[in-house]
Order: sequence, then C-alpha cells, then structure tokens
Amino acid sequence: MTSSTRLTSDSLELPGALEAIETYFENGWSDGLPVVPPTPEAVSAMLEGAKLAPDAILGIEPVKGAVITAEKAAINAVMAGCKPEYMPVVVAAVEAIMQPEFNLHGITVSTMGAAIMLIVNGPITEEIEINSGVSAFGPGHRSNATIGRAVRLIVQNVVGTNSNDGLDKATLGHPGKYTWCVAENEAVLPWEPLHETRGIAAGESAVTVVSGLSGTQFGEHEASTPEGILDAFAQRLYPMGPGVKQVILVICPEHAAHFTEAGWQKEQVGKYLYENARKPASEWIAMGLPSGAQKDNNAKLDPDNGDELISVLDSPESAIPIVVGGAGGAWSAVIPPWSLGSRSKIVTRIIDSKE
Amino acid sequence: MATDMSKNTIRVLDPTAPQSIATDGMADRPESLAGKRIGLLTNDKLNAANLLDAVYDVLAERFEVASAHRVNKGDASRPAEPDFLSDFSQEVDVALLANGD
Repeated sequence: MTSSTRLTSDSLELPGALEAIETYFENGWSDGLPVVPPTPEAVSAMLEGAKLAPDAILGIEPVKGAVITAEKAAINAVMAGCKPEYMPVVVAAVEAIMQPEFNLHGITVSTMGAAIMLIVNGPITEEIEINSGVSAFGPGHRSNATIGRAVRLIVQNVVGTNSNDGLDKATLGHPGKYTWCVAENEAVLPWEPLHETRGIAAGESAVTVVSGLSGTQFGEHEASTPEGILDAFAQRLYPMGPGVKQVILVICPEHAAHFTEAGWQKEQVGKYLYENARKPASEWIAMGLPSGAQKDNNAKLDPDNGDELISVLDSPESAIPIVVGGAGGAWSAVIPPWSLGSRSKIVTRIIDSKE
Repeated sequence: MATDMSKNTIRVLDPTAPQSIATDGMADRPESLAGKRIGLLTNDKLNAANLLDAVYDVLAERFEVASAHRVNKGDASRPAEPDFLSDFSQEVDVALLANGD
C-alpha cells in the first residue's frame, strides 16, 4: 500500500502548511495545539507503518456507532506527530479502547474527567524509544507524546467527543487528555511485566489502556520493606473509599528495588493491601465514604456491625502494580481508573507489528 | 535549509468521520396530560429521581394524570438497553428524563 489513491477522506487544498494548521484550529480538529498537516503521502506512510489498508476497521464505538477506519486513525496519527513505526501502538490502543468493558463513551463524556492512559510493554518500547525512566509521565519524548496525542485526537475527531461543542462534559478536565503514554520500566521489575500478568506471552509487545483520573504522587523515603512501602500506598488509597475494584499502583524504581531485595512476587502486593489496608465500617461511614460515584463499588458497610474491618480493595486482584520512573527519588503514585474500576475496566491488547 | 512553508500549496485530509447513529428529535407534545401515564426515567444519578419527583408533583397537582411509572436505566454512563426502552414506551404515554448530577 504505497499509493495514496485509495484514500477516501475528503481533502482540502490550502496555500501552505501554516494555513493548514490554522484551518485545523478553525475547524475544531486540533486539541488546542498545532497539528502536523496530514497530507495523503504522510497518511499513506503512516498506514504502511502498520501494514494496514485504509479501509481496515479498527473498531466501532459501541454507543455512538462511530466506525474507526485505519485511514482516519492514520490521519490523526500524522496530525499528532507520530512516526509511521509508532502506528502499530496507536492501532492496538484504538482496538483496546473500543472494547465495551472500557466504556469509552462513559469515560469521555463524564463530568468525572478521566483521560486515556496508555502503558506499553515489550520489545517495541525500546524500538521506538518510549520513555519509561526519568520523568516518564513528563514531556520531551516524541513517541510518548505523539502516541498518546494520536489516541486522543482519534477520540475527538473520529468518535466525535470533544470539549468544544461535543460530548466531553468533564467538570475540571485532565491534562492527560492532551497525551498520556508511558512504557513500563521492565529493566528494574521485581516480577513479570504488566502485559504478561494480563495474559500476553513473554516477548510480545502490548498496550494497556486505563481510564485514568488524576494521580496522587507521594514520597516514602524511610520505609525499606515492601510492607512499609505498601502501608504508605494504603494511606493514598483510603480517600477512594472501600471496595475499589481497580487501581494502578505506580511503583518507582527505588521502591521497586526493595520488593526485589525481599523476593516479593507481584501477587503479594495485592494480597497484602487487600488484607491489611482496612478500616472498621464505622470509620468508613464517619469519613463519608463511599460517596457519589464511589457507591458504584460493592463495599457493604453495616452500621450495626461497625467493628467489621472492610478493605479499601474489592479483591487482591484490584491492585495493579506497574514500575515506572527514574532511578533517583522515592516517589510513587496511585492512579485510579474512572469509577474506581467499577464501570470501566482496563484493557490490554497485543501490538501487531506485522514484520 | 530555511523553508518558507507558507508558500507551498498542499492537500490535506479531513480527520473526522460521520456518525452512523441517527438521533431523533423530541416527541410530539400531547394536547393534554389528563389521563396520561407519566414515565419518570432516571439515569441513576443521585439527584435525578428527586428532580423527576418534584416535576411530577407539579404535574399531578395541575393535571389529572393517571399514574407515575418510575424506572431507572441503572447506569448513567451507558445508554438504556433497547428492550428496556421498548418496554418503557409500552407502559407510559409521556416520558420525562432527568440527569441528576
């Protein structure tokens, strides 16, 4: 597929690139930042990056019925600044967010204001240099910045969910809606990488999508045991209320080293938190939790049994640890999914590079 | 090499796609609410039922409505299932919806 003749999108003939950038602003096709003008040649090269025909269907958004073709995804990937070799990650991420359990419609129109967070694993992270180290959630890395941006532009332009005249009604919004893509720091993992935990074979690459709310970063510079570090995590989980169904635990490398030294396996993390991060029902009730959307969780609080210890997690599997970040500093974070995992589930999809 | 990009004519592609699900407009207004079965459909938000009940109280006071049918679609983040809406439409003559965030 080297010719652009099979592309079917409407086109605009414009005096130059700067005029194109302005036109995309005026048409509401940008995210508020300048876009790379998507010429047919650039879009064809982007499709070639994933070995996809323009009319290949990546998914159909279940609520609005928007059909996501490879061509439309590629146009938006060009606009975002992607290189063609990034396209397989964009494709897998789009396939993932189209799964009904992710509830894309809910998370993008909600006043709660979640952003789509991408966690990439496997060999492709080194091939296209997705940052997993110093300032992994920060700017300055093209693949991180443009892959996440491409997914958001696809949601905005193809699914039709934007915050100008569209269905995005977030009260506060979320900076991750510009872009939010990291790789797991597999070099310093105490255990198997995220995608293997989620059923993808070792050696494969995959992307995991999370409807991430704002994260809470915290420092724990004194604890040097897994238990001590997880007790610090627990303090940041309690404000979410009891019965959290899914939550991303971002463990920094300095903290991860203590798990490695202690010989911990990943499943011990959730087991420890589930069993130990508990409060009496009466204390949860006194905290006013669960409240609002937190009521979606299953935690049953019986005022007549106020001494019963209720876990902050719904199950040991509710904790989803990932290791991300630079070597220096004992700063970890918790990132809850929209609805705390009750109405939007994280989804993992294999990345098919078709080599 | 300095390039004045604004002097180049280029062709660029539309990044948007048409939506495939059509939306219907409002239903015709009934001439009178007298004797009508009033459907009250909440989206499961905390205040939606309160709002609908308050509106219904006003309607019941002003018109001789037949009855109230309160239903909850059960998940504010997802559309009501077609079967649910089909059943609801058989049970009522007029429907009020509320999003009670």
